[in-house]
Parts: sequence; structure tokens; C-alpha cells
Amino acid sequence: MIILNGVTKKYPSGTIALNGINIEIHKGEFVFFVGPSGAGKSTLIKLLMREQVATSGTIMIDGIDIATLKRRQIPHLRRKLGVVFQDFRLLNNKTVFENVAFAMQIVESSKREIVRQVPRVLSLVGLGDKAGAYPAQLSGGEQQRVSLARAIVNNPPILIADEPTGNLDPDTAWEIMKLLKEINHRGTTVIMATHARDIVNYMRQRVVTLEKGRITRDQERGGYGLED
Amino acid sequence: MKIRTFGLQFKEGLIGLWRNRVMSLASIGSVTAVLLVLGLSLVLIVNVNSIAEYVESSVEIKVFLIDELDSSQVETIGAKIKQLEGIKEITFESKEQALEKYKKQLGNNNNLLEGLEGENNPLPSSYIVKVEDPNTIGDTAGKISAFEGVEEVTYGKDVVDRLLKSTYMIRIVGSILIGILALISIFIISNTIKLTVAARRKEINIMKFVGATDGFIRLPFVIEGLVLGLIGAVLSSGMLVALYNYFYSIMGRNFGSFFILVSSSLAPFNQTMYNTSLVLLAVGVFIGIIGSAVSLRKFLNV
Repeated sequence: MIILNGVTKKYPSGTIALNGINIEIHKGEFVFFVGPSGAGKSTLIKLLMREQVATSGTIMIDGIDIATLKRRQIPHLRRKLGVVFQDFRLLNNKTVFENVAFAMQIVESSKREIVRQVPRVLSLVGLGDKAGAYPAQLSGGEQQRVSLARAIVNNPPILIADEPTGNLDPDTAWEIMKLLKEINHRGTTVIMATHARDIVNYMRQRVVTLEKGRITRDQERGGYGLED
Repeated sequence: MKIRTFGLQFKEGLIGLWRNRVMSLASIGSVTAVLLVLGLSLVLIVNVNSIAEYVESSVEIKVFLIDELDSSQVETIGAKIKQLEGIKEITFESKEQALEKYKKQLGNNNNLLEGLEGENNPLPSSYIVKVEDPNTIGDTAGKISAFEGVEEVTYGKDVVDRLLKSTYMIRIVGSILIGILALISIFIISNTIKLTVAARRKEINIMKFVGATDGFIRLPFVIEGLVLGLIGAVLSSGMLVALYNYFYSIMGRNFGSFFILVSSSLAPFNQTMYNTSLVLLAVGVFIGIIGSAVSLRKFLNV
């Protein structure tokens, strides 16, 4: 489903953020990307989302070399990718329902679909009763669940989570992880970049370790494996 | 893009306008100013052209004779004119007739001409010549002016040329003024929209990663510029109609029947206003869209 072949990203400043990355991620997999800050995790996500283009090497998603995408085709790539960020990125002047519905309006879903789908996803993330609340009235964990709901509301085949638990306390973090696992069980490929050693060790999923722009370890059912 | 999406984005555009009310007003003001100047220039040019056409259609050549001619010499000249090709009609106007005519034109102010009768009459006698084909009028006038005893030859063309020269000036001055004002409006509009872009930065970012197309993201801002241009166009059209009406009523009051006479040579009111408003609308929309395009290129790198 996702194949990276010799992917290198060099910034104009001369920094080599990624150096010859080869990796294959299959449909329905759950993959952790771990590694110290500056190892290239964020760059990798930016490349997958086609926010940036690799200096060399190819990235294939669903059989398409995403470097060849024209500007107007990029939105259609992004519709295949749900994204969750560390800082939630919710719109504070919109309710929970509106925040999630927003993602559906953007892809021009009908009003009927929106009214049907949004409550379904909200109850999946356990916020069925908070549809009318504003983000400021929610806890951090709840806000992250809203952003998770927004990421999956259009049923993307791939979910990318960039440090989704970074701003949450451990208990809340576990709730988010349970949800990610649930989403993964429904067939969505989940890619998660994280620092959270405990979570990675507990989940026993595939772990790809990045250091200084290179993959130093790629383990099925692995652990965090790095000294902090 | 679906209609419903358009409605949604239209609302966003209006919200953007309201959010930056002060800048929106400044934008509307500047667009209105450009379009008003444009409208005034257009109306002026249209009218001068219309007058020029009127004058051109009433083509006749006035052949002024020098004072020292005796009646046989005058007749000779008349005969020579008649022999030219394409002459339709020729009438003689004596010095006395010319004075009478002038007195009538002056109406109540004809006491200005007292004491100018007889020996003191400054007006020349003349032949008034009409030709078959207006296009030959220049040639014919040229031939007549070469005749001995002819002091001066004038015909509608002179007036027409002078009028057209004045529209040329209106065009130049108008274009420069319109150009400068249009640039100012585009600048103000793009800055207004820039504020909305800044206010919606976060939203735009979210739209991008959820997979909104460029068109979808840009639409509200284009609408914002469009609405600014439209409002400016409507305001300036309204002002132009009011000003033109005012001009008519003032002219009517002060010059009465004379103005009614002249106004028949002016461009028809309704037709002119309709056409001018359409032009203003188009230009307003154009300025608005250019304004938003500038801001999108500069500030909204989606």
C-alpha cells in the first residue's frame, strides 16, 4: 500500500532529514515510527502528505508515485490520508459536530451523509453526547478524540498520527491508543510517530526506528528499543 | 463544485467582509471612486461623440465673402460654386440678413448689437452651400476657399474635429486617473482579503490536510473580492444616474427651451445609463477579482 524506495530529503540549508529510506507498509498494518527529535519522523509524514517532495527516491501510495501528482491532484491523495496532530488543530469557534462535519463539507458530501455519518463517528470515539460542545469545554483527551473523529470521518484507508498522545496524560493517552487500535481493527492502516516508550512497548506492533535520517531497526511486534 | 458548497463558501465570503468592516468600507469606497470617474468619462465621451455626429449630419458649408465685393462679383462667385460637382443647394445671406439672424439668436440680449446697422455692420455676407454627399464636403470646401473674393470657408467638420480632439483629452486624462485609482483599489482590496486570510489561517491549514481543493479554499476569498467590486459598481452607478439627472434638471432650469433643443443632440439618457452601468459592473467585478487574485497569490500559498 505504501512503498518508499531510496527516499532522501535534503533541505536547502544542507540538512539531510532522511537518507535512503526503504520501507514497505501493507494494508491494515499498524506501524510505529520512533526515534529522537530530529530523526526525520516529521519529515517522513510531510513527504507522505505531499506537503514536501523527496529530493530523490520514490514514494508509492496505492500504486501511485506521489511525486508525479499534479498540484490539483494532491487533495485527492490527502483524502486517502486521515491525519491527527499533537496539537489537535480544532476550530475553536465551531462545535464538535461542526468540526467533524467540516471535513465532510470539504469533500462535498451531501447534507444527508453528513447528518448520518458524523454522529456515528462521534459515538465511535465516545463523544456521542458532546456533539454540541465547543473545543474549549473539552479536556485534552476529548479534543484529541474529536480530531480523531475528523480524521476518520471520510473513511480514509490510511491514518497518520503525529505524536497523538504528546500533549496528554498517560491515562488519556491509553484511551487514544485503544481507539487507534480499534480503528486499525476496522481495516485502516495506521502510521504513528511517537516518543512514548511505554505505549510502543505495550502495543507490540511493528516498530520502525529512525536515527539521523536512517532506518536503524524495523521489527515486527517490537519494542521501543532506544535509550532516551 | 456543487451548488450547496458554493452557498457555504458564499457565506464564508460575506463573513470575511463583515469581520473586516473598516477595510471593506475602504475597499468599497475606492472601487466606487474609480468607477465613478470611469462612468463620468464614459458619459462625457458618449455625449461629445453624439454631438459631433449631430453636427456632422447637418452638413453645410459657409462661404464668407470679403466686404469689398460689388454685387456682380458676388454673383460670379455664386455661379462658380453652382458649377462645382455635387452641389445640392446654395443660398445667399447678405450682411443685413446675417445681423438679423444673429439678433434673433441673442433674443433678449439683442441690444448688444445696437448701432451696428448699415455701415458699421461687422458681419460678412456669405453663401450657404449644401452638398449631396457629406463625404465630399471637405473637397468642396477646399475648392471654394481657393476662389477669389472668398474670405473664409467653414463647415461642420471643423467643429467636429475640435469636439473629437476634446474627447481625446478626456480619454487620456480619464485613463490615467482610472489607472491610478484602479491600482489603489486593487491594493486596498487585496489587503482587506489578506486580513481574512490571516484570520482563517488555521482553518485553511486544516482544509489543506483534509484534502480541500485549491478552488474550494480560494472561493470565499474570490467571493469577498467580487462582492466588494459589485457593491462599488452599484454605488457608483447610482451616483452617476443621480448626477446625470441633476445635470439635466439644472440645465433645463437655467437654459430652458435652448437646452431642450440641444439635448436632442445628446446621447439618450436611459440607453447611456444602462450601458454605462453595465460597463461599471463588469469593471467592478474585474477589479474585485484581480484584488483577490493578488492577495491569494501573495498570502495564500495553498
